[in-house]
Amino acid sequence: MNLNWTDAFNNLVPSLLQGVVVVLQTTISSFLIAVVVGLLVAICRLTQLKIVKYFFATIVEIVRGTPLLVQLFYIYYVVPLILDSILKSMGNSSANIQFSAVAAGIAGLSINYGAYISEVFRSAILSIDEGQKESGLALGFTYYQVLWKIIIPQAFTNSIPVLGNYLVMMIKDTSLLAIISVSELLLRTQTYASQTFETIESYTILAVVYLLLSLPLSQLMKLFEKKMKILH
Amino acid sequence: MEETMMSVRSISKSYGSNLVLKDVSMNIKKGEVVCIIGPSGSGKSTFLRCLNLLEIPTAGDIIFQNQSILNGKIKVNKYRQSVGMVFQGYYLFNLKKVLDNITMAPRSLNKKKKELAEEEACELLNKVGLLEKKDVYPVSLSGGQKQRVAIARALAMNPELLLFDEPTSALDPELVGEVLKVIKKLANDGMTMIVVTHEMGFARDVADRVIFMEGGYIVEQGTPSEIFENPQNLRTQEFLARIL
Repeated sequence: MNLNWTDAFNNLVPSLLQGVVVVLQTTISSFLIAVVVGLLVAICRLTQLKIVKYFFATIVEIVRGTPLLVQLFYIYYVVPLILDSILKSMGNSSANIQFSAVAAGIAGLSINYGAYISEVFRSAILSIDEGQKESGLALGFTYYQVLWKIIIPQAFTNSIPVLGNYLVMMIKDTSLLAIISVSELLLRTQTYASQTFETIESYTILAVVYLLLSLPLSQLMKLFEKKMKILH
Repeated sequence: MEETMMSVRSISKSYGSNLVLKDVSMNIKKGEVVCIIGPSGSGKSTFLRCLNLLEIPTAGDIIFQNQSILNGKIKVNKYRQSVGMVFQGYYLFNLKKVLDNITMAPRSLNKKKKELAEEEACELLNKVGLLEKKDVYPVSLSGGQKQRVAIARALAMNPELLLFDEPTSALDPELVGEVLKVIKKLANDGMTMIVVTHEMGFARDVADRVIFMEGGYIVEQGTPSEIFENPQNLRTQEFLARIL
């Protein structure tokens, strides 16, 4: 077997570094949006209003019941077509809607992870002792003050280890964005490998880059978990 | 000790068809210390929780400082600011240091300045004997210390009335004394208090009036000596015989 590691390394890595920037940008923005979406959905699902509750429960089930890859396709290819035909039926014939691949990717990741993260928050909020709520109410806080000042900070802190897990997963899931032409790591590797036939070298380097991205994060999470244990 | 602070008028509370409080009435005067005793499941805690509307009575009325708190005209959260409550399970806020546990409500509800709130919190901590713990997190406190912080936290809102729901029932026996001592000190300072308790010695010692509840009713009430030395009702006699 004739492997050309130096060549692969010298030519692929600079391109992958640009890919890393793309991965980090999409991950960070998607994750922040997902956390906010997840929190809001969790709160909506915990209200007394049955319509709101069941509406979001249904959405979460739909998102969790379909693959992320399908959702990405749907957002990137299908949604613009639907919007187009709606606009055309309203008489706007020049409409030609198209999302940028990165925007569609961020939307897909945010919605998909938002659904899962909402479940994390929901169970974390439910797991906070009822007494915390009551002692807040007894001090004179309103229900919403109790929720935002007492319950959610505790639920959020308790969720951080699981959120960290999702963050690491999301970094790896950005590879799915290759299929809607975001030039992240996988697409760059694929392109390089198909041009040079340095398949073994390219994909090995790719795997190592993913590891280098996710390992420090999981270590950081472990450290944080240890620190939080002191408070419980 | 003549001004009536709170007047409870024939309140009942039911969960579905389960009636847990039946036509309970009582008055509490300013500065009075009332202890409520009785077997578990007798409705003592439910009664106490009705007083600050953690449970809403299904019938009857509660008058606090000449105003009904059940007619929907008062803001429940404002009312609760003047009625503190201490729970069996302490329920300190784990993520906040002891001092911040105490200053949180005054700062965010009364918009008190940080320095002033902390100064007052330190005074309160000093009162409950825990000033040296002001910068630690609740997790490092013993049960008795947590409960004393919880008392300081309730006091920080300057309540007119303080409710205690079995404040020592979750404590190891050797820690009960330090908490009761703090409550006793408050009684001596003239704080108006209603204490649900299983500590008969404490009730006899500190209460101006003892109420015996069973089966959702107030069975008997009187001064500690009336209740403990000369109970009139058969149920009271049986209960006291069982536990003393």
